[in-house]
Amino acid sequence: MARMKFLCDADRCIECNACVTACKNEHEVPWGINRRRVVTINDGKPGERSVSMACMHCTDAPCAAVCPVNCFYTTEDGVVLHSKDLCIGCGYCFYACPFGAPQYPKLGDFGSRGKMDKCTFCAGGPEVDGSKAEYEKYGANRLAEGKLPLCAEMCSTKSLLAGDGEVIAEIYKERVTKRGYGSGAWGWQTAYRETIAS
Amino acid sequence: MASFARYVRFVACAWTALFIMVLALPVSAQQPTRIDPNASAVTEQKLFQEHNRIQGRVSIPDQRSSMLEQPAGRDWRHFRDVTLRWIGGISILGMLAILIIFYLARGMVRIESGRSGRTIVRFSAFERFVHWMTATCFIILAISGLNITFGRPLLLPLINSAAFSEWSQWAKYAHNYLSFPFTLGVILIFLMWIAGNIPNKVDVEWLKRGGGMVGHDHPPAYRFNAGQKVIYWIVVIGGGLVAATGYQLMFPFYLTGIEGMQLAHIVHAVVAVLFVAVMLAHIYIGTIGMEGAFEAMGEGTVDLNWAKEHHSLWLDEQNARTGVNETRRQPSVRPAK
Amino acid sequence: MLIKRAQRQNAQITRGGSALGMLTEQGSGFDRRTFLRRSGLAAGGLTALSALPLGTVRKAEAAVVAGPLTSGATLRKSVCTHCAVGCTVTAEVLNGVWIGQEPSWDSPINRGSHCAKGASVRELVHNERRLRYPMKLVDGQWTRVSWDVAIDEIGDKLMQIREKSGGDSVYWLGSAKMTNEGSYLFRKLGAFWGTNNTDHQARICHSTTVTGVANTWGYGAMTNSFNDIRNSKTQIIMGGNPAEAHPVSLQHLLEGAELNKANVVVIDPRMTRTAAHATEYVRLRPGTDIPVLYGMMWHILKNGWEDKEFIQQRVYGFDDLRKEVEKWTPDEVERVSGVPGAQLERVAKMFATEKPATLIWCMGQTQHTVGTANVRASCIALLLTGNVGKPGTGANIFRGHDNVQGATDVGLDIVTLPFYYGLAEGAWRHWSRVWEVEYDDLLSRFDDKKLMETPGIPLTRWFDAVILPKADVAQKDNVKAVFVQGHASNSITRIAESLKGLKALELLVIADPHPTTWASLAVQSGRKDGVYLLPVATQFECKGSRVASNRSLQWGEQIVKPVFESKDDLEIMYLVARKLGFADKLFKNIKVEDNLPVAEDILREMNRGSWSTGYCGQSPERLKAHMKNQHKFDLVTMRAPKDDPEVGGDYYGLPWPCWGSPEVRHPGTPLLYNTNLAVMDGGGCFRPRFGLEREEKLPDGSTRKVSLLADGSYSKDSEIKDGYPEFTLASLKKLGWDKDLTESEMATINKVNPDKPDTVSWSLDLSGGIQRVALMHGCVPYGNGKARMNAFGLPDPIPVHREPIYSPRVDLVSKYPTLPDAKQFRLPNIGFSVQKAAVEKGVAKQFPLVLSSGRLVEYEGGGEESRSNPWLAELQQDMFIEINVADAAERGIRDGGWVWVTGAENNSRAKVKALVTERVGKGVAWMPFHFGGWLGGVDLRNNYPKGTDPIVLGESANTITTYGYDPATGMQEPKVTLCQIVAA
Repeated sequence: MARMKFLCDADRCIECNACVTACKNEHEVPWGINRRRVVTINDGKPGERSVSMACMHCTDAPCAAVCPVNCFYTTEDGVVLHSKDLCIGCGYCFYACPFGAPQYPKLGDFGSRGKMDKCTFCAGGPEVDGSKAEYEKYGANRLAEGKLPLCAEMCSTKSLLAGDGEVIAEIYKERVTKRGYGSGAWGWQTAYRETIAS
Repeated sequence: MASFARYVRFVACAWTALFIMVLALPVSAQQPTRIDPNASAVTEQKLFQEHNRIQGRVSIPDQRSSMLEQPAGRDWRHFRDVTLRWIGGISILGMLAILIIFYLARGMVRIESGRSGRTIVRFSAFERFVHWMTATCFIILAISGLNITFGRPLLLPLINSAAFSEWSQWAKYAHNYLSFPFTLGVILIFLMWIAGNIPNKVDVEWLKRGGGMVGHDHPPAYRFNAGQKVIYWIVVIGGGLVAATGYQLMFPFYLTGIEGMQLAHIVHAVVAVLFVAVMLAHIYIGTIGMEGAFEAMGEGTVDLNWAKEHHSLWLDEQNARTGVNETRRQPSVRPAK
Repeated sequence: MLIKRAQRQNAQITRGGSALGMLTEQGSGFDRRTFLRRSGLAAGGLTALSALPLGTVRKAEAAVVAGPLTSGATLRKSVCTHCAVGCTVTAEVLNGVWIGQEPSWDSPINRGSHCAKGASVRELVHNERRLRYPMKLVDGQWTRVSWDVAIDEIGDKLMQIREKSGGDSVYWLGSAKMTNEGSYLFRKLGAFWGTNNTDHQARICHSTTVTGVANTWGYGAMTNSFNDIRNSKTQIIMGGNPAEAHPVSLQHLLEGAELNKANVVVIDPRMTRTAAHATEYVRLRPGTDIPVLYGMMWHILKNGWEDKEFIQQRVYGFDDLRKEVEKWTPDEVERVSGVPGAQLERVAKMFATEKPATLIWCMGQTQHTVGTANVRASCIALLLTGNVGKPGTGANIFRGHDNVQGATDVGLDIVTLPFYYGLAEGAWRHWSRVWEVEYDDLLSRFDDKKLMETPGIPLTRWFDAVILPKADVAQKDNVKAVFVQGHASNSITRIAESLKGLKALELLVIADPHPTTWASLAVQSGRKDGVYLLPVATQFECKGSRVASNRSLQWGEQIVKPVFESKDDLEIMYLVARKLGFADKLFKNIKVEDNLPVAEDILREMNRGSWSTGYCGQSPERLKAHMKNQHKFDLVTMRAPKDDPEVGGDYYGLPWPCWGSPEVRHPGTPLLYNTNLAVMDGGGCFRPRFGLEREEKLPDGSTRKVSLLADGSYSKDSEIKDGYPEFTLASLKKLGWDKDLTESEMATINKVNPDKPDTVSWSLDLSGGIQRVALMHGCVPYGNGKARMNAFGLPDPIPVHREPIYSPRVDLVSKYPTLPDAKQFRLPNIGFSVQKAAVEKGVAKQFPLVLSSGRLVEYEGGGEESRSNPWLAELQQDMFIEINVADAAERGIRDGGWVWVTGAENNSRAKVKALVTERVGKGVAWMPFHFGGWLGGVDLRNNYPKGTDPIVLGESANTITTYGYDPATGMQEPKVTLCQIVAA
């Protein structure tokens, strides 16, 4: 069984934000909700690197662990999903998440953040795969159609990789060996407790 | 403008972080004749050596998202899932155990000289209103709060997920909205009773004598004895802390970043469970722990003999001021033992 | 929450049995190759991965019940309408609604990728803030009108102005956003109206490139391709930030650099996102490109790194260059540009010795008063090192709009008719033959023959043509009306002056999907009437060909029908022409269906007339076949296998020149001037465009004649083993090759010039016979000449450094002054006087910071369209200025705080947010130019018709920019001016 992961090759990422708008486009994500974002470190200085970040679908996901209502679940593909029917919008997953992935619609009403929203690895939610209900709550279910997350598929420089962890790790390793440098598989140590030796 | 102020604050934080990172950059990168941006690329490993989190710049206004990685989330998770449950479990269950043991050993503290049948006003209607408003809020806040920490292991297995979420959702609303009357209560308690709760020499004596809990001792006390003063200050300081941190959690990220939020939660949770434990003792002593205590808050009056035994100095004060004029006859209530 | 795509719901209802078929096919068909592709693996890495167990990507699950919401959708391909990389957009369309985008894996250009803009183009079509119906300004209020009324009133007013002030008083401002067919038709419309005042965005982006490059070696275009950069060992990006402006190109640049372990050098005043991925970053003072390039050449010549054989065989004017280069010693270069000699020597060495090396540039070089000279210096550097005409080399000029190369080629320009034929009588006669109208007919449309053959007014100065005294405008009258179809106003410098122009116009027609800043600024200027807004369809609602930066033509399908009341560009042109009374002639050979001219017919007409540029072989059928067979083209060479029945041997998109008629099946020319290939395989040589020989004065006073033809260099398999002039019937006769012409070809040649058929050349022969015969003999129709280091005829034949009009280095102005005042393009260019006055008034003291401008990845051009797209607008919500940390500290400016930026002319000021950063050097500030809708701190949101205001508004950078025009093209100067910044 595949274990789906994301890997952002920061030596390729140019902060073009294609991943961000591809995500918005595919799932009709509303204004203010950023399932994916690009963060630039050392902005404007030599050594500047940008990293595209969303839910990393961690092994032993902290969000799932701290959720007071246990609304998270992990699919056979290792994708961490949640049920918006169960979510109470407490915000705890954001505190636990190492990557700032969970998003909450602001409903104007203090204290009642809406149901949490986050990257689904384009795998929808607990509803029937490909159903309208699933689309409206979680967005498209590309995985069920045999496609990978659109952010990675549309990445301008093929920096963002998505797919079976072993395969994308191999691709990345290959790249690093070939070009002779690599600033690391950002977030892998934190998310999966592993690094890609190169 | 609030959002802008927030923006500026966060940018300032980001820049501080950046500045520190820059200082740590290899000197060679700064030399004008050879700038190789690729070679001086930041790596995750290096950044983590300098800091326990990685912060950058984003163009979207949500400056929280400029935090690329914060593995500290895992520490917080450990606190929430393990540490807090231990602290909460030990303090609350421990307190319950102590109270049960104490009750079994000591039983209810009686009015030794029996009821005089005469009462004296101890708390005004307003004071009692404030107390009970605060107390009611506290109980609901405590239950709804404990649900967040203990509901998933304790309650969820007993009912289905949907029902548990429904209950938790309402509990969350209750927790959020009742925080306002609770905070008001804490403020009023602070103001109402501050005069009687300044520690003094009598308290030292009272404490030395263990509050007279064991044996038949009755150390003198003014309106509030040292034990009550401790409760008062726990309520004021503890209540203040849970309120302050609670509002921070309710209005997330207005004042602080992710670390601040985590810290706010930790303080809120620890103080809250300890608070609950202390309040259990308070409830015990105010009800089955001591004869004649409940009526102080229940009806506002206490038996003269009760006052003599537990608050002799206060009674003296009252007598000096008004003379022994309490005439209300107290129906003698004999609680079952 | 995720509710907006209600269309999905409709899609569900109509989803038929096809869903199941599609599912099983896709669910189980997720093979290894698909996965690798979807995982974004580099082609170079495939082999190493063959051992991996890939069968487990995802177990195909049988239990998919509801099926994808996109089932039953049809896939349609078009081309992204933003930059000129030419990314294919694959749209899922269901019931006439565009419901989703899928990666375009098959395109050899983008291979599935997009940038932020490309990944969000779907929103452009259904955007709620589009202009929905025609409107006009009545007493200061936007009022809805019908199309009929709008066209009628506009037509009447145009005729009235024509009557009074002549045809040249109407300025036809077209767009690089239109298809080739649209741009061509717009130029043709201008010709039939009787003016050369027809222009488009190329004026303000690469007009200097086109002029500079064409004057060097023949054609004004990118010589190689994005894909070909994969071959480079050294990439120098000077004056460009493709990571933001052309993100998908970085796929080729970065992957190429990784595989080749190539040097990537970025020379730029800003340490850009591109520079972050470079192996060397060189910071220069804005506007000192020529000194830096000469500085490199100084080291190259000193060390003998130049390509001597290449220069001897293929270059003219080397000695003249050497004299200029010698002036630029490392000390002087550093004094002027701030770049240390040691660094330049290192870069020069890489460029000259670690070959193939390419030089990539964009607006950083072109948008200057010395733009043409900058570009020329870059070409010279390439010639000096022999880095032209081979894989991995070349002048890789990244163009900015999806069809800016095409719009330039089809002559939507002030200096030429379509395909660079110029404006001389011969050119008009050629096109009158193609259009099958009488030359005299066209002549009669103009105020006089002289104006017919005089370049028009550059769009950078449309307002000068309105407000300058009539005597200063060298045509019958001032410009009185502007008809703008798809061009921003805030991307043009000197907004303060343009407001005066807006006020003074008699008629302003804005045909665009959005009202644009033309509308908001027109209201702000005080206009109460005489403004019309016509809703134009986006390019996704039109079909036609677009030319990517690498000269590849791509045919885009119509994805959905025009929404609201908007109309296709072509239809609007038809309606206008019909109203103006020349539709019959204009559309003589173009079928019009229900008011909509048929795009394919227009392309065929272009094919029939575009011999000069080799647009003759790209028939609509061939282009459509390419789009259908995208997957067959190689990633690096862009060539399809020779045995393919439909596109065999073709290069992707038939990059021009694609010689001869479509039947000749020329494969296109992926690399210009490549002598290592036979012409029929896409080879070529430099074009002898400037005579065959030149008389040079020697120091002793005598003269000598120097040949401008190639010397011992020729393209592979050429039967002429040396330089040769362009082909004419006469030269074919001389070679004895005229016998190869068919009878009908001869007949056509005789018809072209019945009096002197011998003079009919390869570019005028409407039969294509001369080209066909030249190709048969392995020769390039245009001849085989030398590239020019000395481009005699240009204001500075050898590039000369000249300080910007507003220079911070007052001490250098006297040594490096701008060119004297002169009359250019019908208007006075008083740059010299302005520069002199600025120095005398001490402007540099009052405004001590250099202000430059450029692009952001999220927005494009004037930005009204992209700032209306919520998916993009959310990412950049505030106009800002980048200011160096030290400059900010001196001024008490904090990051994110509001600041006032004040400019050197018209007391201009703009309120923006500060972005305090090391990205810009000390003394330099930088603004993105995409913002608009604020002016001098005032929000103009209410000036837009209700509901059409873009989501994000902000100050325009061009509020602050100042005077300055390139003498050769009229290019503006948005890259260097002076400003001051104070905390607000």
